[in-house]
Formats: sequence, C-alpha cells, structure tokens
Amino acid sequence: MDLGTLIPQFLPEFVLLGAGLLILLGERVGLERREYFGALSLAGMLLAFLLVAADLGTPGMGGLRGVSAGQVDGAAIPGALYGFSSLGLWFQEFFLLAAGLVALAFLSRPSVERGAAVSYALLIFATLGMLLVTLAADLVYLLLALEITAISSYLLVGYTRRDPRGLEAAMKFYIIGALSAALSFFGASLLFGAYGTTSLSVIGHSWPSGSGGLASAGYAFLLVGLGFEVTAVPFHMWAVDVYDGAPDEVSAFLAGGTKKVGLFAFVLLFTVPLLLVGSLSSATGSARESIQLSLVVLALLTMTLGNLLALLQPEMKRLLAYSSISQAGYMLLGIAVGTAPALTGASLQILAHVLLKTGAFLVVAAVSALGIGPLVADWRGLGVRRPYLSAAFALFLLGLAGIPLTVGFVSKFVLFSALVQAEGWFLWLAVAGLLNSALSVFYYARILKTMYVDKSPTAEETAPARSGEPLGADGLGWGRAGAIALAAVAVVALGVYPQPVLGALGTAAQHFLSLGL
Amino acid sequence: MFPALSFLLLTLLVGTVLTFLSGRWARWVALGSSMLFLLEVSGLLSGFSWPGVSASGVPQYAYAESYPWISLPWLHISYTVGVDGISLPLLLLTAILQLVTVLYSFDERRQPAAYFGLVLLTCLGCAGVFLALDVLLFFLFWELVLIPMFFLIGYWGGLRRRYAALKFFVYTHVGSIVMLVALLVTAFYSHAPSFDFAGMYVPAQALGVTTQALLFAAMLFGFGIKFPIVPFHTWLPDAHVEAPTGGSVLLAGLLLKLGGYGLIRWGLELLPTGLVHDQPLLYAVAFASIIWGSVIALAQRDLKRLVAYSSINHMGIVLLAIAVDSNLGLLAAVLLMFAHGVVSALLFMVSGSMHHTFGSRDIATVHGITPRTPVLSTMMMVGALASLGLPALISFPAEFSALLATWDRLGYWVLVPLLLLVVTAAFYLWMMQRVLFGPTEGVPETARDLPWPEALAMSMLVALTVLYGILPGLLTNVIIHSPVYGLP
Repeated sequence: MDLGTLIPQFLPEFVLLGAGLLILLGERVGLERREYFGALSLAGMLLAFLLVAADLGTPGMGGLRGVSAGQVDGAAIPGALYGFSSLGLWFQEFFLLAAGLVALAFLSRPSVERGAAVSYALLIFATLGMLLVTLAADLVYLLLALEITAISSYLLVGYTRRDPRGLEAAMKFYIIGALSAALSFFGASLLFGAYGTTSLSVIGHSWPSGSGGLASAGYAFLLVGLGFEVTAVPFHMWAVDVYDGAPDEVSAFLAGGTKKVGLFAFVLLFTVPLLLVGSLSSATGSARESIQLSLVVLALLTMTLGNLLALLQPEMKRLLAYSSISQAGYMLLGIAVGTAPALTGASLQILAHVLLKTGAFLVVAAVSALGIGPLVADWRGLGVRRPYLSAAFALFLLGLAGIPLTVGFVSKFVLFSALVQAEGWFLWLAVAGLLNSALSVFYYARILKTMYVDKSPTAEETAPARSGEPLGADGLGWGRAGAIALAAVAVVALGVYPQPVLGALGTAAQHFLSLGL
Repeated sequence: MFPALSFLLLTLLVGTVLTFLSGRWARWVALGSSMLFLLEVSGLLSGFSWPGVSASGVPQYAYAESYPWISLPWLHISYTVGVDGISLPLLLLTAILQLVTVLYSFDERRQPAAYFGLVLLTCLGCAGVFLALDVLLFFLFWELVLIPMFFLIGYWGGLRRRYAALKFFVYTHVGSIVMLVALLVTAFYSHAPSFDFAGMYVPAQALGVTTQALLFAAMLFGFGIKFPIVPFHTWLPDAHVEAPTGGSVLLAGLLLKLGGYGLIRWGLELLPTGLVHDQPLLYAVAFASIIWGSVIALAQRDLKRLVAYSSINHMGIVLLAIAVDSNLGLLAAVLLMFAHGVVSALLFMVSGSMHHTFGSRDIATVHGITPRTPVLSTMMMVGALASLGLPALISFPAEFSALLATWDRLGYWVLVPLLLLVVTAAFYLWMMQRVLFGPTEGVPETARDLPWPEALAMSMLVALTVLYGILPGLLTNVIIHSPVYGLP
C-alpha cells in the first residue's frame, strides 16, 4: 500500500489536510485577516465535496474521480482497514455540508477576536476525522478516526481562550470525551481478545459464537462509549453544558456535524450484528435480538427524555441542545431496526438534522451578535423586529417539529413509514416516535409563540447592542446570513422534492446492507 | 388534458403568497384571490362528469392527475389529485367560506396582511385535503391547516387565546398522528403497491376483519378529534370562543368537515368491513355527541359557545349518518356537512357582530335588538331558523335525510336525535324571542347596525341557505357521483 494508490483514493481527505496546513502556515507567515482563512477553508471543503460527489458517480463529474467505480460498494476485502460504501460517501457529503455552513458563518465572528486561523484549522481537522470515519472497515481505524474529530472539537470549544464558560465547556467535553474513548477502546480490546481480529465485518459475523461473554461485553462497552458520543440518554449530561458554553458556531458544528459521526459509527458497528436478526438459530438470534433491544431502549429513552427536558428549558441554546438529543433518538431508532428502509429513513433524518440544527444554532449566533439575550423570553417579538431572520428560524423549528414542506417532514415520514413497514413490534416504535414528535411540537410552538405572538420588550428592557464594528447584512454579517439562507433553501428544496437525494440514499442503504460490509 | 386541479392549487398558493406580501392592499388581493377561487370551483362544477368505477372495481376521479413524487423500492408516493361527488361540494364550501370570511373581516386592522394570508393558507390546506388522493399528500395538507389556524387563534383571538391555541394544536396534532399511523398500517399491512388511493383500494379491502376493525377504530379516533366526537371535543368550545370571528367561521365551517370527509374517504371507502364491525362503537360515539352537544348548548349564555356546542351536536348527526352505512346516510352526511358549513359560518358571524355591536354575546342580558339593528337581527333569525332545521332552509333536507337513514337502520332509536332536535328548536325560538324582540335592554347608545362588508358576507350565506334549501338537488345531483354512493 503506497502513496500512489492512497492519494487518489483519499483525495478529498488530502485536500482538506492541505487546506488545514496551509492555514496554519499562513498564520506563521503573518496573514491575519479572517477572510483569507475562511476562503481557503471553504475552497478546500468545496473541492472535497465535489471530489466525493464524483466518487458517488455523479454524472458530469467523472473526471474528478479518485475512487474507481468498482471500489464503491465493491466486495469487502478481508483484512482491509477501509472500504468505500456509497452510504459512507453520502455521509461525507453531509459532514462537508455541515462544516461548510459553519465555516461560512465563522466569517462573521468579530474581527477583533483572536484565533481565527486556529479555529478554521481545527474545524478542518475535525471534518477530516469525520470523513475518515465513514470509510472505516476496521475497529481500530474507526476509533482512531473518531479521536481525530474528538480532539479537534475539544480544542474548538475552547479556542477563544477568553471566555470562562467556553473553557469550562471544553474541559468538561475533554474529560467526558476521554472517558468515552477509554470505554470504546476497552470494548474494542475485548472484541479483539475474543476473535483475534479487528475487522468489523469478521467480528460482526462471528458474534456471539465461541467467546463466552467476552465479545458481548465488548459490544456493551462500545455501546456505552459511543453512546456518549451521540448523546444518547443516559450518557447525555455533558452535551447541554458543552453546547451551551461553546461559541455559537461551534455548537452548530457539534450538534449538526460531529454528533452524526458517532451515529455513523453505530451504523458501522451494529449493522452487521443486526443484519442477521431472526434469520439464525435461536441462541445466536436471541443474542442479536438483545443488542437490538438495547439499542431500541437507548433510542426510546433518548428521544423521550430529550423532549421532556427540552420542555422545561428557559434558555434557547439549552433547549436546542435537548432537542438535538431527542433527535438523536429518532436516528438511533432507524439504525436499531436495521432494515434498508429504516436505514434510509435514518440517513435522511441525519441529513435533515444537519441542515436544521446547524441552521438553528447559526440563527442563535446571529441573534446573540445582535445583542439579544440567551433566554427564550428575550426573543419576544423578534418576528416583528427581524422578519427574515425570524422566518428562517421558524422554518428550522418547523422542520425539527416535522411540519410539511420541510425536509424534516419528509425524513420523519420516511423513517416512521419504514418502522411500520418492518411490521411486528416495530409498529409501536413508530407510534412512540410519532408521540414524541407531537410532544416536541410543544416547545417549538412555544418559541414560535414567543417570537410572533408576544410583544417586543420595551427599549429599557433590551440590553444595549454589543460594541464592535457593525456587521454587513443588517448586522448579521454576510457569512452568517449566507449560511442561514443556504440552509433554509436546502430545507425547503429537499422538503418539496426529496427524490434525487432520497432515491440515492435508498440505493446506498440497500447496497450497504447487502454487502454487510 | 388541462391540469385543472393543480392550476387551482397553484392559483391559491400564488394568491396566499401575494396576500402575505401586499401590505395594506392585502384585503383587496385576498378578495380578488377568493373570487378567482370561487370562479374556478364553479368552472369545475359545471364541467364535472364522474368517470365512474373502472372495470377492476377501482374508483376513478374527475380532473385526476398523478405524478410520481418519491419512489423507493418499498415506498411509492405520488402527487395524485382528483375529485368526485363527495369532495367537490366540500371544495365549493371552501371557496364560499374563504370569500365570505375575507369579506366579513374586510376592516381587520391588526396586521391585515398576515391575517388575510393566514385565512387563505387555511383554505388552501382544506382545499388540498379535499383534493389529495395520496396518503402523504393528504397528510401534508392536513397538517398544513394546523399552523395558520394556530396563529389565527393565538394572535387575533380573545383573552385566553394562548391556552386555546395550544389546546387546539395539541388535540388535533395527536389526532393526526393516530390517523397517520392508521393510514400507514393500512398501506403497508395490505402490501399495497403504492400510497395513492387507487393503489390502496383493493388491497385494503382485502385486509382481515380484525385488522380492519382496529384500523377503522384508530381512524375514528384520529379523524374524530377534528369532528369533534365526545369525549375528545373539549378543544372546540375553547378554540371557538377565543378565535377571531374569521377563525371561528373557518374552524366550524371547514376544519370540522375535514374529519367527516377523511372518515368517509379513507375510513369507509378503504375499510368497509371495519366500519360494519365497529358500528356499535360508532353509534355510541355519535349518540353521545348528539346528546352531549345539545344538552350543553342549552345551558350556554354566550352565543358563540352555544353555536360551538350545537356544532358538536350537528357533527354527531353526521357521524350517525356515516355509521348507518347506507347510500341515503352518506348522501345525508355530505349534505349535512355542507349545510352545517354554511349555517354555522352565518351564526358565528352573527355572534361576532353581536359582540362588537353590543359589547357582549350574552343572550341573557341583550334583549330586543330588532328596532336598533334590524339587519343583524334578520341574519340572526335566519341563522337560528336554519340551525333548528326549518323546511325550505338548507339544513332541513340534510337533517331529514339523515334521520330517515337512521330510521331505516335503527328504527325507534331515531327518536333520540329527533327529540333533541325538538328541544333545541324550542330553545332557539325562546332565545330569539328574548334577544330579537321584546323591550330593548343591554343595548348601548352607540350601537350601530352592521357595516356593509359584514352585511354583504352574511347576506351571501343567507342566500345560499335559501337557495340550497329550496333546491337541494343542486347538491345531491353532484354528491351521488361518487364510488361510495353505489356500494351495496
């Protein structure tokens, strides 16, 4: 395995790596303006996006192709560290989308703030780790790629270095992250001990035969370790404090981007064990059913508790953080069922959440840049004061609530249809999911009511606008406004005509399962 | 063929968007858009010819269109629209009520662009529900109705508007969820090739009896909340009392009809065996609604609350007419939905005008209004007489055929709704005697008769009440052109 074959195959990743290093180099040679770093990052991400699109076989982009057509969804090579599945490549696109939106919004951070280059470089390295995760065919490779993302994101949370809340959040994030990594690696070592291999596919197919409880314990540790990563209840406590303390754009990236990596790790780890539920002898089948059951319980707990706690939150960012926890529950539900339709639904739900949650957190960033406080109540009458910004936020909330003509509606519809389609007791999961989404409507409607029905606070009540130079786009900053507008357009476009993406995801999920990677 | 229904939906959408954007000209844009809507529906009505049931027993629809929308190996969703004799009268009702609502609220001062835009959006959603013949499309429009109505109640409503808006939202949303699950289960468990009505028709009817019965019961719950059926009715009086008059008109006139329409289209047509199996349950719920609605209405002093409770009673009769599962019953159900749409709209307008003319809707304190406000008083009289089922007004043929259909199936049980009708009629007469005639009391000096937009809106409803009361054939000749009307 030499660089001659690695470079074309990992061209998008190398492009990102190059962009990140160039940014750090640029700072060393004395470049200061945020715009340079931003432009470089965006160029790198766009190029990577196009390269991945070419690998996915997008017509007209064949010339960019780095991975030959036969390698995508090709038969798994025994002992390979990585493999190219079209589902994984789609997830790369999702991650690049989230990172691109955040990079665009980063442009509107106050220009006096230090650490522009570092924040961009960290964003790129985190994204690089995310891209690598999607290609994993090996347990150790998977966990190492996850660590690249994790370490970059700890630093990203605290990059401003001035804000004590940010530092506290970074510290908390780091400690929890270290714990989660330790648990995951311990689980991996148990699996290695049981089967003498770290190949995901081999382990998945062998389990649970011939290892006593060792392999099952390994899976359990991995479940908990990754549970922290995806903020599954009861491993969710850190998420709200971290999202709350991090700079707003970073919260957008954590909720909209890095969390989804953990979900894809769930897909990689548990799809193969789940694939054969019911089709095997009773002893093997029941072990697999027990892992499905624990995933389902995790998913139900996550969405229900996330929703219940969101109901009580007076602060906007904490509310969105809990809503993000509950959304992870829906996605886990799709992964737990493990049929191709459910995986399609979960994937679309992940894409929807990337757009909706990133967009929502970026609106929060914009609103706080306008000098409006962190409480939901501070947003009173925003619909009158800031009609376009409020309309975008309303759109994201309606999408999260699953209201028609947004991508959130289509994704929930497909996901819950898939649960019904799986028949048997999965029907009740659809009911539970739908009841949860009804519950979530409560707090989204409460925000809408605050923005549109309640009276604006009087002039004395509003805090004076922050000092600093006025930003373009009516005080929002062009980058931030552009990112929000892009997300909003995508939310509606995919809500009205989802077929191109949904059809491709459906095929990708089908291939992913049929290969058993 | 010209895509008439898509064109209709498109013009509604354009009208809604323009209204939102047109600032102080909003009311004129809304009025123009509503007139166009009515014109288009009249065109559809005049060119309506029902293609009947295909050789394979699948019903067909007039002006049908179908384009694929989402296509996965296991999920086939299309944009499919069409009308038959059940949906077309309700579409006409939508157009009429949109026009009169815009007219009635012509002088709305608070955020007129948003108000008229939301009114038009509500009607767009309702029109979509009546036209959609695909599960997803139907559900999409169904949910679309919720949002504008939530804001209409929540922003333009009365003192307890927030509570009422939230209660409305939560109740109807829970109903939608149950409905959606029932529809999805019907589609998947019957292994229907697609999610459109024609694709589900034959497979759904082949489902087992128990499955059908359970699914129909779930649909009864889901659609029933919109009806509303007792005991899931408590959102209705609150929503009505707090909603602005325009909101109440749409709520009673259109939103309640969505439940009835849905139960016929997706419940009765797809799961006929389920309906027969669930008949005892349906009768119980229908009688409970009829009795509860009218008894509680008798105890009200607030005219708006009274009309709201009598809506529960009337919709209970609609449910009874559906439950008896006969041709006459279905004819009566659709006719009664149309009639109730017109009459309840009129009565809600009357109570709204009463409130801002006299500062009170209390029928126990406002007396003898006729000398001071003769026009309002006339409208109230026509509304009340129509509501109690006076012959030659629109409710009479509808209620008569509903009771006749009940007699055919249930014999003397028909006495329950009949006697309650008599009691309600007496109550209405007594109310009119006090409010309209006798010595003038509780009428402020400043009270003026109706402004012209309100008078015009109500006169149109009065004209329709009389027209369809004398010539119900105009409607029944349309209604019978539906697949349901022809089932054994």
